[in-house]
Amino acid sequence: MIRQRLRFRGLFRKYFLALFLAVVVPLAAHGISEAWFGYRDQRARLDQLLGVEARSAAAKIQAFLDEITNQLGWLVQLPWTDEPDERRRTDALRLLRQVPAIVSLTFVDGAGRERLYVSRIGLNRSESRTDRSGEPAVQGARASRIWYGELSYFRGSEPYLTVAISGNRPSVGIAVAEVNLKLIWDVISAIKVGDTGLAFVLDGPGRLVAHPDISLVLRGADDETLIPFRTIREEIIRSGARFATGRDAQGKFVAAAAAPVAGPGWTVVVEQPLSEAFGPIYAALWRTAGLLLTGAAFAGLLAFALARRMIDPIRRLEVGTQRIGAGHFDHRIDIRTGDELQRLAESFNAMTADLAVSQERQERIAKLKRFLAPQVAELVDRKGDDGVLEGRHTEVVVVFGDLRGFTAFSARAEPEEVMNVLSQYYEALGRIITKYAATLTSFSGDGLMVLVNAPVPVEEPALLAVDLAAEMQRAVQELIVGWQAQGYRVGFGVGLALGPATVGRIGYESRFDYTAIGSVVNLAARLCASAADREILADAAVAEAVMGKRVVNPLGPRLLKGYDEELPVFGIPFDTSPRAA
Amino acid sequence: MRRRDVLGVLGGAAVWTRRAHAQSPALPVVGYLSPESPGPFASRLKAFQEGLAESGYVEGRNVTIEYRWAEGEYGRLPALAADLVGRNVAVIAATGGAPVALAAKAATKAITIVFEMGGDPVALGVVDSLSHPVGNLTGVSSLSVEVSRKRLEFMRELLPNASVFAVAVNPTSPTANSQLSSLHMAAETLGVKLHVLQASTEQEFPAVFAALAPLGAGGLVFTSDPYFAFRSQPLAELAVRHSMPAITQSRDFPNAGGLMSYGGDFTQSHRRAGLYVGRILRGEKPSDLPVQMVTKVELFVNLKTAGLLGVTFPPSLISSADMVIE
Repeated sequence: MIRQRLRFRGLFRKYFLALFLAVVVPLAAHGISEAWFGYRDQRARLDQLLGVEARSAAAKIQAFLDEITNQLGWLVQLPWTDEPDERRRTDALRLLRQVPAIVSLTFVDGAGRERLYVSRIGLNRSESRTDRSGEPAVQGARASRIWYGELSYFRGSEPYLTVAISGNRPSVGIAVAEVNLKLIWDVISAIKVGDTGLAFVLDGPGRLVAHPDISLVLRGADDETLIPFRTIREEIIRSGARFATGRDAQGKFVAAAAAPVAGPGWTVVVEQPLSEAFGPIYAALWRTAGLLLTGAAFAGLLAFALARRMIDPIRRLEVGTQRIGAGHFDHRIDIRTGDELQRLAESFNAMTADLAVSQERQERIAKLKRFLAPQVAELVDRKGDDGVLEGRHTEVVVVFGDLRGFTAFSARAEPEEVMNVLSQYYEALGRIITKYAATLTSFSGDGLMVLVNAPVPVEEPALLAVDLAAEMQRAVQELIVGWQAQGYRVGFGVGLALGPATVGRIGYESRFDYTAIGSVVNLAARLCASAADREILADAAVAEAVMGKRVVNPLGPRLLKGYDEELPVFGIPFDTSPRAA
Repeated sequence: MRRRDVLGVLGGAAVWTRRAHAQSPALPVVGYLSPESPGPFASRLKAFQEGLAESGYVEGRNVTIEYRWAEGEYGRLPALAADLVGRNVAVIAATGGAPVALAAKAATKAITIVFEMGGDPVALGVVDSLSHPVGNLTGVSSLSVEVSRKRLEFMRELLPNASVFAVAVNPTSPTANSQLSSLHMAAETLGVKLHVLQASTEQEFPAVFAALAPLGAGGLVFTSDPYFAFRSQPLAELAVRHSMPAITQSRDFPNAGGLMSYGGDFTQSHRRAGLYVGRILRGEKPSDLPVQMVTKVELFVNLKTAGLLGVTFPPSLISSADMVIE
């Protein structure tokens, strides 16, 4: 039982796993490939997007600087004379008003002398003629037309840039502007990358030029503040053309890309929080995970239910076969799955019904065999109709046999001896009765009654009965030789009569006997009683029926017990076996 | 039954009031210290509240503001500052000048102070560094004090023939000396003579103007001082009455009929102070917030007044003016 339980579990697990995996594996494969390709697509999109954003931001910063240099360009078009240039002074003041980022302007003539200085804070100067030709701004502008200085911090806080521009010939001189870079804030804070992304600007050595959070810029050249910005720029350089990932000043993970601002050698970095940049793919991942979980749960339930459905009928079949094996032929296996298993159960049930029928038949045959010859019993059973056993009126030959002196013997002898004699006696007679397909209706003690022509009719019943009687005598007489050697004084007489009788089954429930009722039975019994040892007595009807076919010796009329007048009696001789003689 | 109903109503009322009380301490309180009264300060307060809103705080919704007005009596500032400290506000906004910032600084070392002023906060000892203010103070400074010499320059440009000018100074102002020395140096560069006139109360204003004619001053330059700035209206009236070209730091002056002004943009400085207060409320440390300088310096001129006074603005002045009132 335990082994069966284990086997049952194993099958369940197999079915469950197979069904579960059949759903989950393709689902997982799909989900994972979807996520992977989605992730790659998103990375490619981000590469493109951040690259565009960085270039666009750099263009805006460049435009801020270009605006200043363009405006300055107007002021270095006319050559300086020795006279003070009042018009250029007015233009310079107008420029200060026009470009708020310019804090001060210095004009140097072709000889490198300062001709004009205007400022928002300090006092203006005119014609100071100080030699400024050695200053880097003047030399730089002379060399490359537009010159950008190094980033400097006013009072360690505000970022300033010196921009110098020269005209198309030396005599127009050079304009040098001090630019307060804090005003890039308007530009940089207007740049939005995605929803929460931002841009910032670093100069060559990695100092912060502009950032939407102005307070970071105003901290000046503070290495602690600048480290995260420098780190992310290095990450971008390392990652080449693709976007880089790193942490921003708050420690959040960001995706970043950069683009150069050519003039002053700055770098514009755009960054977007990774959570936002990969937002769509994260959402897709969560969806996939959710689907996978739901799918797995559904697959689990389905697999469980299906496995149960498969295992349950198998279990019922198992129980059914056990019960049928134990002989419960009335057991029926109830499976209504509408598939092969139901068909199997139905064929099992049909088999059980057949087995039950077959067993019943076996039992009936066994019963019939009690009074019918086995071949007759088989025949009756094969026909499936025991109507042959029904009561009817027919011509029968009744044969009675009886041991002589048995009562006296049985009174003297030991029970073992009595039973031994009876068993030898019935064994011999039974063989003969079976051989002649006669019907043994009853036996009691040493006497027995045999019917011929009922229930199965035979041709020439009298002849068969005579041969039967003769063989019975021969067989018993052979036994008697042995018995007499042992000192048992017994003999055997047979009587038979032919005539009409009522034959049929009598009895109750399973205790049925086949018997004949009528005067012919009585006559046969009387003839038997009248017969001496080694004698077969027949009535006139038998004698007449076998006349000319068997030897019949008329013994003349005899008065038989129970009959008022004498009846003709015939003796049937039989030849004893050589051994008996 | 009826008594139970009444008890129920009372109980409900008690719960309701307790909840109403429980809600107010949850709102952070900003202590707002101002040297003036609400009237003249309205434009500054509006700018401050705009900045505060920009950083996500709206008065009455998620922040409460406790106002303390010195109403022009700068001597009351220390007591008002101490009162705010006693109320244990989350942050003190000390706006309207160096005296306010210094009064607040003297009152507490624990509560963060965001100042708004016109002078150099380092020179005045408010903070030790612009980029990394150590301690509990940070804030915004306009360039008003630094550009007082430019006012003399503009006056000289307007009146190239005048050789004598007068300077009005508030002796109680902490920046008075530095502005005067800067002005004297500028006068030397420009080649003009300078007379210094003092006024620390409104009552002294008429005397200042009365002294101008005897001195032969061609024009009057006001040093940067909140007390002067918030009294643009009477100053403008006095200047017109005395036919005296004058320049102050605040755009309120030409707006009220004065001739011109040159100074920092106070709406910007007050707005940024509000922004910083919001960031402090969010939990940022004052040392992480560098002192901001408002770079924008604005020149306002009133042509109508110029007509009244019989002066003509040269094109260089007109072209560099941010606002020309006609």
